[in-house]
Amino acid sequence: MEKEGQTPATFPVAPLRKKVLARDIGVIAASFVLMALFIPLHWVIDFTIFCILVLSFDLLYGFMGRLSFGHVLYYGTGAYVASLMLLHVSRNPFLAIAAGVGAGAILAIVLGFIVLQTDGAPFALINLAFNQIGFWLAASGLQQYTKGEDGLNTPVGKMGFLDFANQPIAFGFLLICLLLVFLLLRVFTLSPYGVTIRSIKENDDRVKFLGYNIFTYKWLTFVLSSTLAAFPGTLFAIFYGFVAPTIISPFGNVEVIFAVLIGGAGNLYGAIAGGVVYKLMSNYLATNITRWEMVLGILLLIWVFKFRRGLTGYASELILRVKRKQAAEV
Amino acid sequence: MSETLIYGLTIGAILYFFSIGLSITFGTMQIVNFAHGMVYTVGVYFFITFLPVFGKIFPLAMALAIAAVLPIAFLVERFIIRRLYGESLDYAIIATYAVLLIGADLIKWVWGAMPQPVSDPLRISLRLGDFSFPLYRLVVFLSAVALFLGLRAFFNRSIIGRIVVAALEDRAGVRCLGLDVNRYFSIVFVIGSGLAVLGGVLYAPIATAEPYMGFHILLVAFAVVIVGGMGNLTGTFISAFVLGLVIAITARFWSQAADTMVFAVMALVLLKNSLLALWRRLVGAVVARAD
Repeated sequence: MEKEGQTPATFPVAPLRKKVLARDIGVIAASFVLMALFIPLHWVIDFTIFCILVLSFDLLYGFMGRLSFGHVLYYGTGAYVASLMLLHVSRNPFLAIAAGVGAGAILAIVLGFIVLQTDGAPFALINLAFNQIGFWLAASGLQQYTKGEDGLNTPVGKMGFLDFANQPIAFGFLLICLLLVFLLLRVFTLSPYGVTIRSIKENDDRVKFLGYNIFTYKWLTFVLSSTLAAFPGTLFAIFYGFVAPTIISPFGNVEVIFAVLIGGAGNLYGAIAGGVVYKLMSNYLATNITRWEMVLGILLLIWVFKFRRGLTGYASELILRVKRKQAAEV
Repeated sequence: MSETLIYGLTIGAILYFFSIGLSITFGTMQIVNFAHGMVYTVGVYFFITFLPVFGKIFPLAMALAIAAVLPIAFLVERFIIRRLYGESLDYAIIATYAVLLIGADLIKWVWGAMPQPVSDPLRISLRLGDFSFPLYRLVVFLSAVALFLGLRAFFNRSIIGRIVVAALEDRAGVRCLGLDVNRYFSIVFVIGSGLAVLGGVLYAPIATAEPYMGFHILLVAFAVVIVGGMGNLTGTFISAFVLGLVIAITARFWSQAADTMVFAVMALVLLKNSLLALWRRLVGAVVARAD
């Protein structure tokens, strides 16, 4: 494996401090609420769902260094299973979330054994292949269940005060979901487990020599990341009440990868910042610029050749420089 | 069934033309080159533009389209691919994907998003017993076989080909002989791009040209390259035809499932070793119990 070009870990291993954690969560919540004041609320809701997906991908790519071109498969599976659950079994949104996340987890548990036999480019491509199969199943293979290109219209029930048709309430619920996922990943990535998967990113042979069973770690991370990807899928199905095959289309992977890259891979703030910046760009640019794909392509090239560390990479460097300057003055 | 066979061989031939370049880039530079799809699509659009201008002479327009694409391929190699050599895999995938996106959008800008049909240049059907098929498809198949033999001669006899084959085996070793490996890779890259355009132009009368045609063939061609072994030129030839037949036979029964079947085959090949190990373990357990 060639590892030379990969970005080094941008922050050191640190013990989990409750104060810092509370501050982080406060900052994220405050910035989303602030954003909701300036841009339409349904956009912010869309951003929130997308950010959860980006966070889940960051665990696999940013922290463990395994680039997958098929992450959207689990997102779409979650969305489809949740809406089928709402349509045929019960209108309880929590049951739908549980079913969708469970389906994503089972799929990841099974496929994890298969895809993790490979590494590097074959890993990216075999995930793409499975994603393509999933897309085909949704679009035509299982047409009698998924309604093909027409998509599924799902009724959403109310759970007490939790009414998904009411945008502010839905936004509050989704924001709590985002914060919970952030918290979970924060705890995981700072734990010994997190250090191990970051070491696997740097050099998996050495981790193996240290006596770790790296397949188990890779498999666990893959399952966790994919399950967390199914979660925003179920949220999408519940909030929008509509699921079509585009949600599971392999092209969606590019958006997720790009969002992680903008923010800086291997950094949870980066994932959230990247998700928001990407969605802002695509919402504003796509409506104002007709040659949107070209702009996206050029931005990707600039990123690869000039801007590899992403927003958080540059931000942390800036902070470090300011601190050094202060230390020099004192 | 014979029609299916002819169709499968035609698709296999097109896949072969397209996959050679991909396979070489992967074998030599360890780069998954999505930009190959861009070169292919742009070439087909050049061809469509040249065809009416040069009096509908198919081979002339084809040659001009290939010639027009070669400089583009050279620029892509010089300024994108070469800068990515030795980088980790992800950057190469992302950068070449960006090139593919830019290419698709440029085509929509210049030629519009509507699919453009191309008519069969030969318009002759061959009769064989009680079924008939277009002569054109046979020509496509035969040209792929001719190309395979030609490429074999090129890689075994010519000095450029032999240097590239040696570099596929051991890049550092070739560099130690004082040869500028990159220059030869660049030549082979440009040749591969020209062959992709050749495949695209030959495919245009069977399918239609549209801005995203590069995306679709890329996915299938990656399967070809993986099944055939990355950088293995004979393997690519065989797997292109096998997967072409898989597509044709699946499409006969269930047309939408064709691509999916290809990926299923690819998954099986990737998992070959693990499946074999599992099989041996199972057999071992059964034998042990029998004893």
